[in-house]
Amino acid sequence: MHFNTFRIMKKTVAYILVLLMAATAVFAQNKERRKSIKSWENYEITTEKVGTEGTKFVKVWGFGKTVDKAVMAAKRNAVHACLFRGLPAGPNANATPAICRDPNTFRNNEAYFEEFFAPGGAYLRFVNMTTDGTPAGQDRRKIKGGYKCALYIQVMYDNLKRQMEADGIAKKLSSGF
Amino acid sequence: MVVPSDSWCIRNGFVTEFQNLGQTQQIPDYGTAFRQNDEIRTVISAMSEFMAANEFPLQSLEAELNRINNESVEMSLMQGKSGSVIEESPVEALRRTAKADIILNLDYKVTMVGPRRQIEFNLQAIDAYSSKIISGNTGTSSPVSSATPMTTILEEAVLSFKDNFLAGLQRHFDDLFANGREISVTLLRYDSSPVDFDSEFEFEGDMYELAEHIDLWFSNNTVEGRYSLNDKSANRMRFSQVRIPLYDTVMGKERAADAQSFGNKLARMLRKEPYNLVVGVTPKGLGEVWITIGDK
Repeated sequence: MHFNTFRIMKKTVAYILVLLMAATAVFAQNKERRKSIKSWENYEITTEKVGTEGTKFVKVWGFGKTVDKAVMAAKRNAVHACLFRGLPAGPNANATPAICRDPNTFRNNEAYFEEFFAPGGAYLRFVNMTTDGTPAGQDRRKIKGGYKCALYIQVMYDNLKRQMEADGIAKKLSSGF
Repeated sequence: MVVPSDSWCIRNGFVTEFQNLGQTQQIPDYGTAFRQNDEIRTVISAMSEFMAANEFPLQSLEAELNRINNESVEMSLMQGKSGSVIEESPVEALRRTAKADIILNLDYKVTMVGPRRQIEFNLQAIDAYSSKIISGNTGTSSPVSSATPMTTILEEAVLSFKDNFLAGLQRHFDDLFANGREISVTLLRYDSSPVDFDSEFEFEGDMYELAEHIDLWFSNNTVEGRYSLNDKSANRMRFSQVRIPLYDTVMGKERAADAQSFGNKLARMLRKEPYNLVVGVTPKGLGEVWITIGDK
């Protein structure tokens, strides 16, 4: 009898431990994602030239522990800039305003954007990478804690804008008329 | 409506010259410009495309000019069954011109950078109601080989300023919805009028000048009471920066408001007791209205 009770207790403790570990891992992952979204204020982006119809051609930097993570961060940063920051003017191109002009858009739609920018999220549909392979030379720098990589990216700006309008995040030019 | 700027027309020779009090004056000849210049058509087509994609199809100046010409010819030939002809006063003929809410004033010129060429462009969106510039874009395209077709350089220039330009329009529309449309109203007195703007009428037991009654009416009928009274005398009053609601209800039906509908509303008030005035309402473009008392 005592032996059985001991076995059941042992199993229960094991289950609790497994559950705790899983919960901690999920929590840490979410925390990391939230942290990465919040820390987006710090990236560099430049407009390279006038993109073809409906697109923007930019050079954007991303940080990550590995080169792959830095590349993914760069892609997210490019979409983030189009949405919230706007693109600066380049030597041969005018500045582009942010799609979401209300400074509170991110805060008011945090759940939407967490899903939008989740790994493999919808943001990838609006990114056309125009550099082949992994960044090399000046565009790949080893820094403390990881890599800083630059990518030349074509962002499908008009499609992104239309998606935001369809999802009710940004206002249509014709809304109200 | 995209309109080539006066300076572009003069630079490219699309002008008509006439003598005015001994001075030679030039006015743009848009018809010839559209017939002879392919570049301007390319720019307008590129702009029309992105505006249509944003659910704002542009009015074509070229088509509008053709319509007005055809209208003039048809009106001069039209006859009723009894032989009567269409009547049109010189003022009516003068006002039968192309009208648009927003005029896109376009200017560009080609400059050479060594063997390469580039375009300097300037696009202004002007609110026809208030004559204010609501979006201005200037810039220079990247220098390209002289062999590059002009149409390609122009299309690139349009793509370069497109989003900034749309953002400017959006700011203007946001302002319209928040603060109303901006118009000007001028009130004039014919000498046949028995009263002027200094004449006094009773209001809640006290006597006030007609000008004060009208001022109060503006205060009650503008968006958040926003307007400026620029000029006031016995024979004339002028209001500017009058913010009117975008939509109004007339005869129980909601419709888009403009300077004329706002003027009609004021005229209805002046025709009633205690004023009993004869009032005429004459629109001047979309954003200005003249209201005359004493005659129509």
